[in-house]
Amino acid sequence: MSNNTSRPGSLSKRLNRVKTYLSKPQNAILLALGIMLTITTVFPMITILRDTVLIHPGSKDAVGTALESSFDFGSEKLTSYNWTNLFTGTITTRVGRTRVTRSVADVYLWTPLLNSVLISIFACFGSILYGGIFAYLVTRTNLKCKKYLSSIFIFPYIMPQWTLAVVWQNLFNSNVVTGGSNGLLANMFGITMPQWWCEGIFPVSVVLAIHYAPFAYILIGGIFRNMDANLEEAATILNSPRWKTFLRVTLPLIKPAILSTILLVFSSAMGSYPIPHYLKLNTLSTQYVAMKGDRIGQASILAVIMMLFGFIILIINQRTTSGRKNFTTVTGKSGQTSVVNLRAWKYILSVILILTTLATGILPIVLFAIETFLPNPGDYSFLTNASSLTSKWWLTSENITESGMYGNKGILYNQQIWNAFAGTLFVAICCALVAGTIGTLVGYCVSKNRRSKWAAYVNNMAFLPYLMPSLAVGVAFFVVGSNMGLYDTFLLLILAGTVKYIPFASRSALNSMMQLSGELEEAAIILDIPWWKRMTQIIIPIQKTSIISGYLLPFMTCLRELTLFMLLCGQGRIITTMLDYFDEMGLYAFSSGINLILIVSILIFNYFVNKLTGASLDSGIGGGKK
Amino acid sequence: MKKFVLAIMIFAVMFGICSVACAASVADVIKQAQGMSNEELYRKAIEESSGKKFVAIGNSSRGKTALASFVKMLQQIEPSYKLEEDWGQPKNNTIFEALNADVNSANPVYAMTLIQDGNQIKSKMLDTGVLLNFVPKEWLEAPGLARENNEFPLALQTLNKVFMFNNVGGAKFDNMWDFVAEDQKPLFMGVNSELVGKNALYMMTSDKYATWIKEAYEKLSPERQAEYAELIEDMQNDADELGIKGENAKYGLTWVYLWCEKYNQETDDGPICTTLVTKSAAGRSGLIVYSKLRSVEETGESSVNNITVAAYQDNYEGIGGYAYKHYLMLTKTSPLPWTACAFIAYMTTTHDGFAAWGKDMGGYAPVPACMQDHSHDGYVDGENKFPVKNDRGYDWWLNKGRLVVEDPTYCASVSGVMSEWIDGIIAHK
Repeated sequence: MSNNTSRPGSLSKRLNRVKTYLSKPQNAILLALGIMLTITTVFPMITILRDTVLIHPGSKDAVGTALESSFDFGSEKLTSYNWTNLFTGTITTRVGRTRVTRSVADVYLWTPLLNSVLISIFACFGSILYGGIFAYLVTRTNLKCKKYLSSIFIFPYIMPQWTLAVVWQNLFNSNVVTGGSNGLLANMFGITMPQWWCEGIFPVSVVLAIHYAPFAYILIGGIFRNMDANLEEAATILNSPRWKTFLRVTLPLIKPAILSTILLVFSSAMGSYPIPHYLKLNTLSTQYVAMKGDRIGQASILAVIMMLFGFIILIINQRTTSGRKNFTTVTGKSGQTSVVNLRAWKYILSVILILTTLATGILPIVLFAIETFLPNPGDYSFLTNASSLTSKWWLTSENITESGMYGNKGILYNQQIWNAFAGTLFVAICCALVAGTIGTLVGYCVSKNRRSKWAAYVNNMAFLPYLMPSLAVGVAFFVVGSNMGLYDTFLLLILAGTVKYIPFASRSALNSMMQLSGELEEAAIILDIPWWKRMTQIIIPIQKTSIISGYLLPFMTCLRELTLFMLLCGQGRIITTMLDYFDEMGLYAFSSGINLILIVSILIFNYFVNKLTGASLDSGIGGGKK
Repeated sequence: MKKFVLAIMIFAVMFGICSVACAASVADVIKQAQGMSNEELYRKAIEESSGKKFVAIGNSSRGKTALASFVKMLQQIEPSYKLEEDWGQPKNNTIFEALNADVNSANPVYAMTLIQDGNQIKSKMLDTGVLLNFVPKEWLEAPGLARENNEFPLALQTLNKVFMFNNVGGAKFDNMWDFVAEDQKPLFMGVNSELVGKNALYMMTSDKYATWIKEAYEKLSPERQAEYAELIEDMQNDADELGIKGENAKYGLTWVYLWCEKYNQETDDGPICTTLVTKSAAGRSGLIVYSKLRSVEETGESSVNNITVAAYQDNYEGIGGYAYKHYLMLTKTSPLPWTACAFIAYMTTTHDGFAAWGKDMGGYAPVPACMQDHSHDGYVDGENKFPVKNDRGYDWWLNKGRLVVEDPTYCASVSGVMSEWIDGIIAHK
């Protein structure tokens, strides 16, 4: 009897507790976001995991032993063949004229996996070294031309990443070494670079490092900029040598930013498809695409392995940032910063950096521009005969198949290009709006529930897709999208883009909301001001710059994203798949023209947003203020 | 609850019936359409699709041009006819997943497809019934029709990829084994990014083509023969293990092995062509789509005259290249089957319908009336300035040029074992 009476009591108590919990908007939103993010993040992962045990007609898992080892699971026929064959199977092949039996994993998995890990490590190392040194010089020394250098340094991040790979090829390839026509260096100066320089791990790592160095610059630079110089000055007063001060004082201070860069760059580099594809390195991403013909299930296993790296990085992130998961900068506590006098080196280093940034930021743009006036792709005959330059790639208004146009109109008249550009803008705007809003809400709600496990879970769910290689996320949405009839639709692109880019906004919002004193909102609550009014009239205006960064970054990143989207749509749907198509076809004039359009667009958007709101691209993934 | 379960069951049964009915109706339409003239098909298409959206997917972007031309043609018959055109071109071998997903979705949109890779078409699309074949009546009745190997699945065209080399500096490649000689790095699209290339390598182990390879080997000097003799003998073990029968399979396998070990992978035939035609690519070779030579703008650095098509040399020995096909088929759930049939008939039986591809040399429609003559493409103002562009035609290529032609059935029968054998070689080169 007592049980009967206590049950309704405890139920109503629980209900009351739930009601009280949900009466706070941040809790209700957190619950809704948690459920939504779990579905959008976990469901694609489960789908791709399921794909590894499905039988695919026309694939290796649909014949012979695979079918023999299949089993019924509900109404579906599944097989463990893809896993067992990949990890224990053998194949007969030839290496160096000798007939050998190799494990299937040796052919399809270990080498790509090793290459992926190596390029990710090297890209981290390179980007931190380059971006970190640059950040130090710009923020803590009296280097010359800082404003110019700071702006130009982020150019490689603005450009679609593989365009630097194409520039690399055009510069360094040679008949003698790479076995084709000469690149610019061999053509003009007769310089031939060795094979390891032209193709493989080295160029892939360098290009990735150059592309992600702005990340390191933004993250490390933020700390350098706001760092209190008292500690360093104390060390100087104590007669500590400069190198020792750097190692013992400065370096530990920027450690969190270095760690953040490693976490972010590692997964981004691992998921990069186009750079290894163009520079001929077999990685998990390129291997996934190569295996899609007749080993579809095993290709999905590669995607699962890439996802596992995302989880490992998430765990490392948890361990290293335990508690307050701040990825960005030490913000605005400093009373003073000291500037190191470089003396004569300020000129020498400026010149070196100007030349370096010219090579990584300006040269590609100049080469893109020149390319759009060449008679044939990569044909620099204008150096000896200026009349060979042509405007056909821009101004051809007819649909012609001659002269290398392949039935395409010139860029200015090419409806396909402009439609794809409009498609990209549409996807980018939608992703930015949805990801920005969800991310801001995540940041707000998590900051309001700092000690809640659910809040930590939601925060992790929101951040997890960023730590997953883009290709793995793309594969997951491809499998889901194909099953739901969403392939080649804007909806699928927006869904994938939103899930992938929520972390930009959530990190940005969380970091800024953490700095916000609860008293401000509490005062408004006492005055009985509704939640939406508190948000729109207090919270958002105060943290407007960071919040806008949370919208801006998904937008900018979406504009030049390929790896995430390349499996989800046809080549004409958005501008990056079209750009990649032109690059693959060797129609570099079109791809260079599109690149110019993209770069100019991003700079214009960045300029206007910066003018209107004070936020800009280089205010960083963490939304740290300049 | 019971009502809810019942409702779901009814919905599921209706959905199932609808799917079966849909497939049946597309098959019925095809059956009827095969007995109709083009004119009748066009009328049916106008009746069926005016004011609607026609969604198709294909491996060739020119399908879009052909579709626009088709609509214009229908508008000449019925001026009020309107069709919203949507031609998609998927990337990275996703066309098969896209088609498969579409026919299994609740709301299929693809009316038809233009697709390549006979091997995957057979195993993923035909054996599973995802795609249905349609053969136009006027195609069957066309004078001079090359019916063999083009009817099932229906081929829009056969395209050739041919061996060529840069002749600057006097390089010589007069035997197909020269392309796999010690210092060679022939340019070629990655076999896993364009699988028709892998199919061609499978085909080279079939008896007919392996014999051609053997004949070319026998024309090599004794020193060159000795270079490969041991490997060829050892390759018999591979042939046995892979289950490839045929007396001369070991010659085919040896050449394929050497090719895989040496080829220099490029993303597409376009960059290979622009590379090969330059002066600085002296002595380099490649296996690329013949029609790419049309795209070269003559300059001081680049010229098609820097290229020699290997098979056009009088003393050339061996295979001159390979041929693959573009196939046209309907999806089994095609929402506009009459229009799809009419469009296919238009492309495969009329000159205007094939015009989007007809301008290219090296692409051959089974119906001669669709074709344009490319035997004098190298002539400028009556002068034979670019002989390499004078296409010698389908028959010449098949017989004298010794093209390897893709056979979906053979490819499908060996791909299971040969694919990984090839992957093993390229993974460790």
